[in-house]
Amino acid sequence: MFRKVLVANRGEIAVRVVRALRELGIASVATYSDADRGSLAVRLADEAAHVGPSPSSESYLRIDRIIETAKRHGAEAIHPGYGFLSENAEFAEACASADIVFIGPPADAIRKLGSKTAARQLAIAAGAPVVPGTEHALSGWEEARAAAQSLGYPVLLKASAGGGGKGMRRVDGEAELQSALRDAASEAGRAFGNSEVYVEKLVDEPRHIEIQILGDQHGNLIHLGERECSTQRRHQKVIEECPSPLMASHPDLRERMGQAALRVARAAGYTNAGTVEFLVDGEANFYFLEVNTRLQVEHPVTELVTGLDLVEWQLKIAAGEPLTLRQEAIEWRGSAIECRIYAEDPDNEFMPAPGTIMHLSEPSGPGIRLDSGIFEGWNVPLEYDPLLAKLAAWGPTRETAIRRLDRALAEYVLTGVRNNIAFFREVLADAEFRSGRLSTSFLERFFKRRKKTEAEPEAEAAAALVLALQSKGSGSPLLRNVSRWLDSGREELLR
Amino acid sequence: MKRHVTVNGRSGTIEVDGSRLRYVREDGVAIEGEFSIEGSSVLLNGRSYRVSKGTGKEIWVNGLRLSMDVFDPRDLRPGQGSSANHGRQEIAASMPGKVIRILVAAGDAVEEGQGLVVVEAMKMQNEMKSPKAGRVAEVRTRPDATVGAGEILVVVE
Repeated sequence: MFRKVLVANRGEIAVRVVRALRELGIASVATYSDADRGSLAVRLADEAAHVGPSPSSESYLRIDRIIETAKRHGAEAIHPGYGFLSENAEFAEACASADIVFIGPPADAIRKLGSKTAARQLAIAAGAPVVPGTEHALSGWEEARAAAQSLGYPVLLKASAGGGGKGMRRVDGEAELQSALRDAASEAGRAFGNSEVYVEKLVDEPRHIEIQILGDQHGNLIHLGERECSTQRRHQKVIEECPSPLMASHPDLRERMGQAALRVARAAGYTNAGTVEFLVDGEANFYFLEVNTRLQVEHPVTELVTGLDLVEWQLKIAAGEPLTLRQEAIEWRGSAIECRIYAEDPDNEFMPAPGTIMHLSEPSGPGIRLDSGIFEGWNVPLEYDPLLAKLAAWGPTRETAIRRLDRALAEYVLTGVRNNIAFFREVLADAEFRSGRLSTSFLERFFKRRKKTEAEPEAEAAAALVLALQSKGSGSPLLRNVSRWLDSGREELLR
Repeated sequence: MKRHVTVNGRSGTIEVDGSRLRYVREDGVAIEGEFSIEGSSVLLNGRSYRVSKGTGKEIWVNGLRLSMDVFDPRDLRPGQGSSANHGRQEIAASMPGKVIRILVAAGDAVEEGQGLVVVEAMKMQNEMKSPKAGRVAEVRTRPDATVGAGEILVVVE
């Protein structure tokens, strides 16, 4: 096993990896940009290194600096987290030539699966079902028009190098095609440095269900079941769960999807952790979508239900250890649901809301797992994705998991930056969500009937009381912006 | 002690006398009772509330955000006087970010809802739209500029 590993990422995922490293007795090296000097990952890691200015293109995406930093700190391996360099074949190769282990699949597998069009071709060859569409990047407007016409509207434009909904546009008719093509290409170029776009037939009201896979360097490859991520807003997952509620009525679906995922992974020569994404239609037909050649944001729900530690397995596999888990021994126990806590304003079109965390009181208790990258006083930078934390709940049934998640959301106090905590409580209370009949358009329907939760007059009175007493100058301690630890420290010094 | 209160734009008053309070809203809703306060914990008629201050006028009660102002009626000044805007509309950035594209130039005629400027923050692109049909009087930003929340980007008249 490695003695020291560098974490080439930030936020909650850097914390997640640093935690796994400490549990395994491996020294950790966090990396930080200017904006992240004070980050939680830096505080929790054994060592930390500056990798550049705040824009990620000058820090977390700088292959040369990351590798040089790993060398300087004597790290034998690099964990890339998700996003940034995690799906960058060039980076995986650069690691190899610097004699550093890249904790992820081989560069060749990333390349085969990294382009969505190449992955489609590979999936077709491996015998996995795919959604009809172009199998290559569009050369321009003329080709886009012809392809969309022959597929029939509605169609979906997607970035070849994409993920997370960036560079993706639904097009309902030819009138919208040109501007959608321009926007998708521009967004893809900014997000991935590659503006190639392709077009697919839109599967109406699909579920988004993905299969977690794990493979070692000795030819062992298994799947860890599914995650349902249908609760999405603008193609961005917000709630993920395992098992998918669909599995209850289709007992063989998990195994059929699992086997299709493994065929694709095997064809690509895949090792380490990965995720094969599928769209599933109303009749439980599934279509290969893409492979995410990295750890997923939503991996905790799989960990809660299978009892496995995916980051630990990533490290073991990268160190050359064999996968000692057998497919038959994998068990799915109970139900887990996760919601992504974002610094965004649900009451203002989910605008990102950077700022400073003023008060934070985090939930815990039975069945709760919180993967967070924040603390009181942390300044949420505007340069990066607004994900603050992931709150997950486990329960023996989906109903119990939902109740626990709601309870934990009610305990969660997070002020200073606007966030979606109260919004999640509204979603969890929704009858359609509770029924488990999900699809990727669920949230759109939910928004139409959404009634914003209003504070009761008693709650207003309680808040007004606090402000009134403050205006009187009685100095209620909660209203000061500084931490009470700092205060008591100062008091100590003055004694 | 008596204070004026505005909550999400609605006004009211709160009177505090020892451990009793009376909160009356302009719509006639009135809350009266015994309270106890300890740090961020408020008990009002035996019910428990957690109150934390956010940024500016934001205050959070049991997970819900309110915009609240409390002031002494003796300090009351006349309203800020919303000056008539003569149809001029200033389009401001709704969040800090970076200007990605400017879709109009000064002098252009624009429709209501037409995109004016694309601003990116935290990897999300957002189009600032014209609130009315009219003519672009002024473009006050440029591509790649870093802008703060509330910064005026375009003026439409």
